[in-house]
Amino acid sequence: MTLKALQAASTSRNGVGAFILQCKRLDFHYCDWAGSSQGMNLFLQHNLARFAASHPSIEIHVSPRPHRHPVIRGHFINGTQHSICVRNLEKGQVLQKAEILRDMSGEKARKVKGGRAVGSLNEGTRGVWSPFHGAKPPSFQG
Amino acid sequence: MKALRLLRWSGSVLSPRTRPCLVHLLQQPLSNRRFLSAAASPLQQAIQYQDQEHDAEEDLWGSSQAHKGDDPVIPEDMPQSLQQEARLRALPSPPLSAAKSSAKLAALHARLSFSPRLPIETLARCLVDATADSNPDFNNTSLAILGRDLYSFYTSEAILCRYPRLPTAVVFAAMAAYIGPKTLTQITKEWGVELVAEPGGEVDPGYLQCRREDSMLIRKHSPDSDTDPTSAVEEGQPPIAGANRPNAEQKSWRRGVSSMTVYDDEFGDLVKGSARGGRSKAATTTVEDACARFVQAVMGAVYLHRGKNAAKLFFKEHILSRHLNVGKMFEFKQPTRDLSRLCAREGFESPVARILSETGRATRHPVFVVGVFAGREKLGEGAGSSLNEARIRAAVGALKGWYLYSPLEVRVPSDVEGANARPWKPVLVDIGEIIV
Repeated sequence: MTLKALQAASTSRNGVGAFILQCKRLDFHYCDWAGSSQGMNLFLQHNLARFAASHPSIEIHVSPRPHRHPVIRGHFINGTQHSICVRNLEKGQVLQKAEILRDMSGEKARKVKGGRAVGSLNEGTRGVWSPFHGAKPPSFQG
Repeated sequence: MKALRLLRWSGSVLSPRTRPCLVHLLQQPLSNRRFLSAAASPLQQAIQYQDQEHDAEEDLWGSSQAHKGDDPVIPEDMPQSLQQEARLRALPSPPLSAAKSSAKLAALHARLSFSPRLPIETLARCLVDATADSNPDFNNTSLAILGRDLYSFYTSEAILCRYPRLPTAVVFAAMAAYIGPKTLTQITKEWGVELVAEPGGEVDPGYLQCRREDSMLIRKHSPDSDTDPTSAVEEGQPPIAGANRPNAEQKSWRRGVSSMTVYDDEFGDLVKGSARGGRSKAATTTVEDACARFVQAVMGAVYLHRGKNAAKLFFKEHILSRHLNVGKMFEFKQPTRDLSRLCAREGFESPVARILSETGRATRHPVFVVGVFAGREKLGEGAGSSLNEARIRAAVGALKGWYLYSPLEVRVPSDVEGANARPWKPVLVDIGEIIV
């Protein structure tokens, strides 16, 4: 056989074809007794149903966590979890925190180096600059 | 070309099913079988399942010595909730009615942007592997067979029309890269599907139900474990690799690439099966195989419920949109020889390598840029730290330039199906890679 093929696997580009929201589950933990859960409880009563209906791809769990501060915990497609404590927040602020978790990718926060926020898997159409090609520099005169 | 309506053929998926459908039960008179509707409550279903199981056992083997020593005999004085739980536990996979109330399953349905016309019960069935529930009416085997064929059809036409000159070995590798088990496992993870630790009727139907090789409970629950828990294959015969081949028993015979297209599967791998050509029936599975069957079954379900256009769109969005650099999948042994053979075959002048530019010949880090020319045409170019390296790279570049030819407008045969499609224009069919 003159030619062999190397095995490879295609890599996903979320959003190029289908888009899959990376947050797959949100847990809302509240306390019925403590004052720090007041905003959270109002959120659960008034806003959660609409929030859940507008994000059907997120699985939502609500459970009590007595005598603790209220927490929203997000579970992500890549297997990680992130929690945000929402003690003493108003219900609008709780919604904002839930939206933060919804929009997270689940990856660890890391510094974007070199100002390159977006990476591409495709080759540049112009190619890489080469010193061996193109016009020769004018020779040094005198 | 007119689209076929498959609704009639897909009755086994779309209509309510009976349990159990052990294959030998099909020969029993109909009076023994009770039909379930999709709306039956889990309790009802569990009870019916139990009744049938017992009926069947009495008919076939007599009463109690039959089957699965742990088949629960539920005492009447047990509390209702415990009874129901025991009945659910007796089921090999979650009942149909549990699908409606599973948050995980509903989230998965929405995550894949399925329309409500694809019922959530079918999605639940896609998640039941044959190793969890051996009943073919409740597991995903039939859907996976359909989905696998659709995937290989769509992928092969996409690859062959986009790269008509691709060598067969690379076509196989590209097929595996798009729809091989490794990729499908990755897709399962990216869809947010998790696997069960151990399948059973009480498990949330949003998990992928399969019995893995490291399972501790094979002996206890496996449907095939009556006689020998470790037997992986029906009738005790080991699976034969290459069951489709005429001389399957000859392990050392060479497999040519052309014979792979005839006898082997879509990735050029040997088909594993029993001697009669059927697939082997295993008690456990690997994670990769279970995930692959799940993704294939989803494709089959989309095709049956939503039709061909939706299936094609699903394929484009989830498979074809993935990134694969086919140019990096080549491995040449003697590219300069291959290139001269190619030029001879195509009637070009024989290739000659010439230095285009160089720097630092006498230093530790020289760079040579070499081009390969056929007459006055430059076929390829490469840079290297020795003249030979640069020449070989140039030959590889020239060969890749030939093999990776891609037409500007790519149409595939399945685009022609439909009422108002443009007529088919023949695409380039290459005579194949060079033979040395």
